[in-house]
Amino acid sequence: MKKMSSYLRTLKRTLWLRGMADAEILSEIESHLLEAVEQGLHQGLDAEEAEQRAIERFGSVRMIVGSFEKERINTMNKVLLLVAILCGLFLAYVDSRPHWDDAGITAGGLLISAGLVTLLGHPRPWLIGLAVGLWIPLLYIFRNQEFSMLLVLLIPLVGAYAGWGVRLGIRKTLHLA
Amino acid sequence: MIGEALKGHLDLLLLAILAEGPAHGYGMIETLRRRSRGAFDLPEGTIYPALHRLEGQSFLSSDWTEEKGRRRRIYRLTPKGRQALTKHQQEWQKFSQAVNATIEM
Repeated sequence: MKKMSSYLRTLKRTLWLRGMADAEILSEIESHLLEAVEQGLHQGLDAEEAEQRAIERFGSVRMIVGSFEKERINTMNKVLLLVAILCGLFLAYVDSRPHWDDAGITAGGLLISAGLVTLLGHPRPWLIGLAVGLWIPLLYIFRNQEFSMLLVLLIPLVGAYAGWGVRLGIRKTLHLA
Repeated sequence: MIGEALKGHLDLLLLAILAEGPAHGYGMIETLRRRSRGAFDLPEGTIYPALHRLEGQSFLSSDWTEEKGRRRRIYRLTPKGRQALTKHQQEWQKFSQAVNATIEM
């Protein structure tokens, strides 16, 4: 079972590097491969051929990790969007308090929270910019019909695109290294 | 071509297989291959992320069992999964009827 062990080791390492190592996933995959090897042996293949075929049919490590990553990204993006909305609502609440008079801190909060969410991996900076920044203008429009407050949206949009750019830079650097 | 087309309908196929009874990943792959007469021959490992997602959505539940010294993760359809299957089946019926109506000469 040399090939299978090597395949499982590579899979484990790659999943671990992507932050997805899970003993249950690996155990399930090992059980699947053992069953596939057994099936191959029943069909008259020798042990090495049965192992090779089981691995080929299962798919390359890259493909399998990619499939898990895709599922995880979909879930993680929803969580990040929710975090962005909550940050935006919190900042709007703070900004709406009667004695709050520090626009710089509000602006910094919008910039940093939007930047962090895209830095953590959300792929749509425009959406995160809106999710973080829409609440303050809406509040001002609702209360005082101040449409000029829509300009505030620029701050989280700049933050979101900056975070996204930094993330792309990091990925490129790691890829080239 | 079939592999690509299959990706969009994998949830429906997995839910349909499990509607007939609990099964483990390897068993589902075998059923898929047998029922499609070999047409649905996708890389076997790609069903696990889908199964885990469906379980995360509470469409499936799973338990580990041990048989002849081998541990297996057995998946079952939940009531919510059964509802999702009915919905997917209706959507597929509509879609396939529309495609058939369009391509029939």
